[in-house]
Amino acid sequence: MKYFSFFLVLVIVLGLGYLSAIQVGPLPPLGRLLDPHHGFWQNSYSEDELAQEEISIDGLSAPVTVRYDEQLIPHIFAENELDLYRAQGFVTAQHRLWQMEFQVMAAAGRISELVGEVALELDRMNRRKGLGYGSEVGLKFLQENDPETLRFLVAYAEGVNAYIESLDQASLPLEYKILNYKPEPWTPTKSLLLLKYMTDMLVGDRDLEYTNLRKILGEELVNKLFPDYPEEVVPVIESGKTWDFEPLSITRPDSIAYPDTTLLLDPLPQPEEGTGSNNWAVSGWKTKSGHPILANDPHLGLNLPSIWYSLQLSTPEYSVKGASLPGAMGVISGFNEWIAWGVTNATKDARDWYKITFQDDSRSAYRYGQEWREATYRIEEIKIKGVEKPFVDTVIYTHYGPVVYDRSFKAERQDVNFALKWTMHQGSNEQKTFLLLNKSKDHDDYQAALDHFTAPAQNFVFASKSGDIAMRIQGKFPLKWEEQGKYFMNGEDPKMEWTTYIPNEQNPATLNPDRGFVSSANQHPVDSLYPYYVFDHSYEQYRNRRINAQLEVMDQITLEDMKKLQFDDFYLHASESLPIMLELLGEDYQKSEQAKKYLTELKDWDFYADPNQKAPSLFYTWWNQTFGLLWKNLSSSRYPVLLPNTYHTSQLMSKEPDFDFFDHKDTSPKETAADHVKKGFEEMVNQMTKWESEEGDYSWANYKQTSINHLVPQFESFSVKNVYTGGGAGIVNATKSRHGASWRMVVELEEEVQAVGIYPGGQSGNPGSRFYQNFIDKWAKGEYLNFNLRGEQELDSLLFSTQLLPTQ
Amino acid sequence: MKFLGFFILVILLVLLANPWLPYWGVMILLGVLSFWKNSSSSISFFAAGLGMGIAWIGVGLFISISTGSDLADNMAEIFGVGSGIAMLVLTGVLGFLLGSFSGLSGSLLRKLIQRERKDIYRGPVSY
Repeated sequence: MKYFSFFLVLVIVLGLGYLSAIQVGPLPPLGRLLDPHHGFWQNSYSEDELAQEEISIDGLSAPVTVRYDEQLIPHIFAENELDLYRAQGFVTAQHRLWQMEFQVMAAAGRISELVGEVALELDRMNRRKGLGYGSEVGLKFLQENDPETLRFLVAYAEGVNAYIESLDQASLPLEYKILNYKPEPWTPTKSLLLLKYMTDMLVGDRDLEYTNLRKILGEELVNKLFPDYPEEVVPVIESGKTWDFEPLSITRPDSIAYPDTTLLLDPLPQPEEGTGSNNWAVSGWKTKSGHPILANDPHLGLNLPSIWYSLQLSTPEYSVKGASLPGAMGVISGFNEWIAWGVTNATKDARDWYKITFQDDSRSAYRYGQEWREATYRIEEIKIKGVEKPFVDTVIYTHYGPVVYDRSFKAERQDVNFALKWTMHQGSNEQKTFLLLNKSKDHDDYQAALDHFTAPAQNFVFASKSGDIAMRIQGKFPLKWEEQGKYFMNGEDPKMEWTTYIPNEQNPATLNPDRGFVSSANQHPVDSLYPYYVFDHSYEQYRNRRINAQLEVMDQITLEDMKKLQFDDFYLHASESLPIMLELLGEDYQKSEQAKKYLTELKDWDFYADPNQKAPSLFYTWWNQTFGLLWKNLSSSRYPVLLPNTYHTSQLMSKEPDFDFFDHKDTSPKETAADHVKKGFEEMVNQMTKWESEEGDYSWANYKQTSINHLVPQFESFSVKNVYTGGGAGIVNATKSRHGASWRMVVELEEEVQAVGIYPGGQSGNPGSRFYQNFIDKWAKGEYLNFNLRGEQELDSLLFSTQLLPTQ
Repeated sequence: MKFLGFFILVILLVLLANPWLPYWGVMILLGVLSFWKNSSSSISFFAAGLGMGIAWIGVGLFISISTGSDLADNMAEIFGVGSGIAMLVLTGVLGFLLGSFSGLSGSLLRKLIQRERKDIYRGPVSY
């Protein structure tokens, strides 16, 4: 009996011990998670409570001082750049390790390893787009062309790894504990992969949709609905600029045989609409201090931990400060003692698709002109959590690039094989651009730094203490004939291929234009005088006009004025479209009490989308309803297509309300824009009445519900929901529900550079830390943090300091 | 009294050893402790269980209060158990289960080994 009870209890003990150590279903190992000395409780400490005065790190050549200001922003003082980047890797990993690795795993198509089969399609897509391939080519490019940057990347990786090695179960970042896995060593390839991940986030194409539209509507109607140059274009580079170079010649082939089918493919996931940015700089003669001011606010998905991590990097030669990307070296948007720079996305149809004709079912060769070219294979092995055998995906590579859709992936049509041509797959060195910008002293340095930049193309704004302001649109742009790559192309025909690239010195750029400012907001890069074909589906039509109109009239500009402009809530689209809609609505609307109330609110509106305003919610809903009705002929297509943009829709509604295409063919009366506006109004009244009875308040902030979500969407309590803030799509303060200003910075290049910045997050990636989301309140109100450079000996208002010491 | 001494000993052991040992290391120590203490099964079970459970709750509570972090509340939401208090209770219950059975096993093992000697104290054999 005693034997029995002892062994019974022993089995229970071993069972309990074992069960607490393993994952049961979605539950992480509870023993390790709840043990207060090692589990999640340990992640309740904020960074200052865990501060260490000295840390030894392998590979440093001299001590490095890190001073954290009260916002946990590190200021890293190193003797040389190799130490600097090693320290940047270590310090960034301390605060953001899990995020760094998670983003890179997503880019590499390895999320299935963490969450199981649900992520398989996503992983296959990312691998088939060739992000991993691109980063490997990028590494090879560095090995052959830029060993110095590679050495820095190795030092950065070793810095990250020094932190990983210092971790124990207690200090492991929280998400590893919940998702039950361990960090892997960092590598230079991972840093490159992160930059490819950013490229992918910012680059889209609508070749598939345009191909279908061309087939469904015909070229003439496509050009009417989607004009390359709408009437009023306010481009990045000031209109009327003369281009003083001899353009390369290019001729459009006489006959173009498009692969003429309508396609039922799923389009590639596109960058979210509203992924864009603003930047501008004003000359000294327009500012109160007489010195240039520069502003930048990139708009990205609003996530926690934030995509940005701010820091100062200092060597005896220079000090640079601003926003960095965890995983990449240097500062991406920032300033130093002499210059400031910032970026916005300069999209220009950077991806093209070629239809591949394989010789036979083995798909080992494809037709190119008169010959059969050999295809190569890349085997992608995807590990899946909870599944013994990895999933093996064979991706075929042509000289164009990877065949993303084929018989084994996403294509309902068996004969469809398209190869993706994308500059991201070509070796390039974006990292170098930022390292050089970080220490640039003048416009020449800035130009030289930008020469290394390939993708994603960016509008680089620049201002210097010496008084220059500049803008350059930099990327590696293929030289295209008119409409080349707008539609899917035939890969058999060598004439369809890109032949060369626009030389860097012929990329659109401007220095100290007469108007006294430069600006960009993802609009058309240039006016129609630029000698090369420029096309993209997503050029902005509102933020750019608002920013330029404001900058033109402003004078005696101060840093405060620029902050206000970044936070400007003026709803230009509404100010242009609402009067048209009210006119089309006429007096002949359903005159319920509700309708009258809403209409009064709309008529009294000053067109600012401030968080407390009610009219923006009404307008937004009315517009969306009307927009849907106007383009119902298109949206009801069974093929993936695109709808005309807001600006052009507004124009057509006003100028051609009787446009044939507005008539729904399947109903007998002939509808005009006015009918849709009226119907849209009724729908809006119904929806808003419903909202009022269910949710109550329909003021803008409450209606648009801006939320900043943790990278794992299921971790809702680590997200910040319903942030009280204004702005929206097409508004300078571009804060929508899930996208917005991911970083705001304003720099005045006085003798002592004055800088402010903020982002919607916090320096710490640990959801238990008080620095995890502490910037959000300030950000939502349009407030900023002081971002002035610090000297190593400035000891006021510090949180703590750490010495990183070479290992003895 | 026996219980109270044992109980306090367990709390001290958890507080001192757990930062250096994973929870299963503490379980082994508690087994060894009960073996050495040689108390009754029920005292071993409850002293080790309550000791470890309360020590774990105490540490969790101390961390929460001293850091002011609302992490426990947020974790509770992710695991669908209500509030941070529930997280604390879960931590305590797990601590109790791990501690109690570890204690009991140590005590039972001791009894198993001592069986022969114990018989001597049963008093004179009646013929």
